[in-house]
Amino acid sequence: MKLTVSRWLVVISLLFASALTTAARTRPRYGGTLHVETRTDPLKSPDGIARKLLFDTLTQVSANGELLPALAVSWESQSANHRWQFRLRSGVHFHDGSPLTAEAAVQSLSASCKHCAWHVRAVGDSVIFTGDAPMPELPAEMARSAYAIARQDDNGNPDGTGPFRFVANSNGILFLSANDDSWQGRPFVDTVEIYGNRTVREQWLDFSVGKADLVEVPPELLRQAQQDRMPLAVAARPSDLLAISVSPEQIADEHLRESIALALDRTALFNVIFQKQGEVTASLLPNALSGYAFLFPSPANLSRSRELRGTQSIPMHLSVDSSSAVLQLVAERLALNLRDAGWNVRVASQAANPNAELALQLVHMEAAEATSALGETLEDFGARARDEGSDPATLYRSEHSFLQSHTVIPLLYLPRAYGVNVRVQNLVLAPDGTPLLANVSLEDAK
Amino acid sequence: MSLRQRLLLVFSLTVVLSVAAVAWIVSLRTRQAFAEANQKHTVALVDQFRRDFDEQAEDVAARVDHVAGSDRLVRIAFDLTQTGGDPSPYLSEAAVLAGDHQLDFLEIISADGSIVSSAQWPARFGYREDLHSIGNQPTLKREELPDGSSEIGLFALRTVRGAEPKLYVLGGKRLDRGFLANLSAPADTQVLLYPVLTSTFNPHALISTVGELPQAAQYKSLVESARSSGQEVRSTIYVTDRREDSVDATAMPLKAPDGSVLAVLVVANSRRGLVELQQHIRAIGYGVAGVSILLAIAASLWITSRISHPIEQLAAAATEVAAGNWDTQVEISSSDEVGALARSFNHMTQQLSEQRERLVQSERVAAWRELARRLAHELKNPLFPLQLTVENLIKARNLSPAEFDEIFRESTGTLTAEIANLKNVIARFSDFSKMPKPQLQQVNMVEVLRKVATLYEPVLARHHPPIDFDVQLDIEARTVSADPDLLHRALSNLVLNAMDAMPNGGTLTMELGSRGDSIEIRVSDTGSGMTPEECDRLFTPYYTTKQHGTGLGLAIVQSVVSDHHGTIRVESKPGHGSTFVVDLPSLAARVASA
Repeated sequence: MKLTVSRWLVVISLLFASALTTAARTRPRYGGTLHVETRTDPLKSPDGIARKLLFDTLTQVSANGELLPALAVSWESQSANHRWQFRLRSGVHFHDGSPLTAEAAVQSLSASCKHCAWHVRAVGDSVIFTGDAPMPELPAEMARSAYAIARQDDNGNPDGTGPFRFVANSNGILFLSANDDSWQGRPFVDTVEIYGNRTVREQWLDFSVGKADLVEVPPELLRQAQQDRMPLAVAARPSDLLAISVSPEQIADEHLRESIALALDRTALFNVIFQKQGEVTASLLPNALSGYAFLFPSPANLSRSRELRGTQSIPMHLSVDSSSAVLQLVAERLALNLRDAGWNVRVASQAANPNAELALQLVHMEAAEATSALGETLEDFGARARDEGSDPATLYRSEHSFLQSHTVIPLLYLPRAYGVNVRVQNLVLAPDGTPLLANVSLEDAK
Repeated sequence: MSLRQRLLLVFSLTVVLSVAAVAWIVSLRTRQAFAEANQKHTVALVDQFRRDFDEQAEDVAARVDHVAGSDRLVRIAFDLTQTGGDPSPYLSEAAVLAGDHQLDFLEIISADGSIVSSAQWPARFGYREDLHSIGNQPTLKREELPDGSSEIGLFALRTVRGAEPKLYVLGGKRLDRGFLANLSAPADTQVLLYPVLTSTFNPHALISTVGELPQAAQYKSLVESARSSGQEVRSTIYVTDRREDSVDATAMPLKAPDGSVLAVLVVANSRRGLVELQQHIRAIGYGVAGVSILLAIAASLWITSRISHPIEQLAAAATEVAAGNWDTQVEISSSDEVGALARSFNHMTQQLSEQRERLVQSERVAAWRELARRLAHELKNPLFPLQLTVENLIKARNLSPAEFDEIFRESTGTLTAEIANLKNVIARFSDFSKMPKPQLQQVNMVEVLRKVATLYEPVLARHHPPIDFDVQLDIEARTVSADPDLLHRALSNLVLNAMDAMPNGGTLTMELGSRGDSIEIRVSDTGSGMTPEECDRLFTPYYTTKQHGTGLGLAIVQSVVSDHHGTIRVESKPGHGSTFVVDLPSLAARVASA
């Protein structure tokens, strides 16, 4: 009997110890260096991967799409959304130690605003926005990286209030260190090293040998990465819009623009080039945001396209970012589609042909909400919503009226994905696919 | 042109033409021989290139074969079967395989002809490729590219082993500089490729192993000829103005399965060696010809001198003889015809000398005879009366003293007159024998003739019948270097002779004029004239046509004229009078000749 109890006690002790160990293993650890690689400049505005680490916005969007306070603790609108007041969080400091003030915030917002519909000013610890038109989605808009509160220190280095501070940027490596005084709390990792301008091949090579913790997985390689059983983090919804913009100045006839739109075969792009990653679209907003994307027809109609083209055969250029091989491939495929419809199209480099008749563009949609997402997308294409309102019908009308002109021809929505090293814990992607690295910890940190 | 120069010219021309003809013929034949050899070399090169090209084609076929048999492609074929034909994962396979097997073009094509993956145009997936025109043998094909351009390539089609449904691999290599570089070419041979991409000749499209050709336009006619005819064409291309840069070019059309010419391969064999050799031969020919000509000229000079020298000697000797040196002899330096001629010449001059001696002797004898005759005649005349007178005196001894005194007086008168006559004759002979040397001084001939005219005008006027005296003096002063007394004496003799030639009256004309550098004095009569034989002997001493006289007058005139370096001649015809023409050098001519 005593022997049996002793055995039970031993077993229980062992089980308890095991539980403790497991708990200890899953608890985030402080320390370590996170190695991130990216194809672009990590500091590039507006959506460089380092910006969310260095800077904060007035508001932020949670992983499940909820709008939360950030540098602004509260906000309220007046005059039917013509005026907004954002009250700033107290006790927040820039990395150089200076306090965050409304004036500093206003200065940053003014610099960020290129074609904004609002005016901004500081009043006490508040930032006041006023506009001639109602701005119902302003708080969601203020969550975009474009409106991060950012400045430069005396040495010209980026200075913000984010969880990481700038240390150095040399030989293509951006060094960030944890901000111990971050209003969000000190991040778990000590440093972040971001290797910019790395090709996917280089990133994957480093990832395979454990030199990189986070690498990009382009949509055209996502299927292969899945087949290769790469640890992945994939955004919940596609957030990169692949579209063709048509110059209305150079192709003034709307029927010709429609002919161009009808010649394009999205299915081949989706099925072959992007291997069924993302979604075919003929609308500006993805169906996950708008819910009405299916109302925009997408199939190609070659005969109708030829009919609308008539005898027109002006030589055209389709410009594309020649540094991206997949975009180059997409552009060549689209050029083939257009040639099948009788158009005389040549693919050209965007840098050499900034005023081409057609341009293949990949625009990122950061907003998590339909109204602000539409506004953001229209703004990316140099337009504004014609109808004011955030209900689906209004949004649909705005989108439809814009797309009727065929100056923008949406093609595909593409997801963002990353290869994530197994030692990286708690990595969460924002709704737009941006990795939220502030809360990441490393399993093997000591 | 002298004999020597003519001979020299003839010899030189003969040698030059001969050497030139030989050099030209040799050069021509040599050039032809080398050109033929060059042509054969070119043909052999072209055949070699044809074999190399076929080898390259076989190499492409082997590579494509290797791709088709690769495990990777077999796996793809299997996966396609498993996945129901979803080709999307293999979009970039062709590019990878092409790189692995060093092919410029590679397409993976499904059984229905749709492109699964294309290395050269990745975006063409799903489009159909026409495989019917491509057989098992490597073929040429024009391939369109994404940038709108097109290229010519050598393609081979293979089926992936074991694939069901079939999966095809169409691979090829671009016909470009790299392709040309794989064709082994000797150092002096250039391989060019012209892909037929436009309807008109584009010089920039003609490429060589070093890229674009700066003188591509020179190949235009050759390429277009091969392209239009579809046959091999040969031609010599002059790439630049220099012959050394010319090439023997052969254009070979490269055709697609349907017979259309897709490219033209040009094999250009440099003619530099041949041209330089020809130039070398030509230079040697010129050199040999030049040396030969110089040698010929030297030989000609020697030969002509050997030939012409004796002749020149003969000519000089003949000139000497003509000048009066009849005893001139030439050296006999050979035994040939020239030697015989020299011997003959020497013999001739010897005979001339002897004959002259004999002539002189005979003339001297004749002159002596004439002198003796004239002397006998002149002396006989006064001697006969002398003899008669003396005989009369002898006979008168027998007469009375008074008759004897009368006859004595008559006889002594006759004896005195005839003795004076004898003395006169002797004096004249004595004068001729001791003609004085002229005392030269500047003499105005007008004055001399005026003096003569003044002296004899009254004499001529008193002549019965009278003789007219016509004096025509060129009033311009004529100055000679002469002895005025001797000239006066000579002119006096001429006037007296003219007067003696007109016993029945007439006109005596005395003229003074000039002819070039000479002073001409003409004394003319209108007498009976003389025969040519008389004219020839006129100046011989003691020759006279007159009944009286010593015959020394004209001899004296000739002697005086000769002492004054002049000449005298007579112009006479029977019945037309005579004119004595005296030419004396003017003072200026005398000074110049001095």
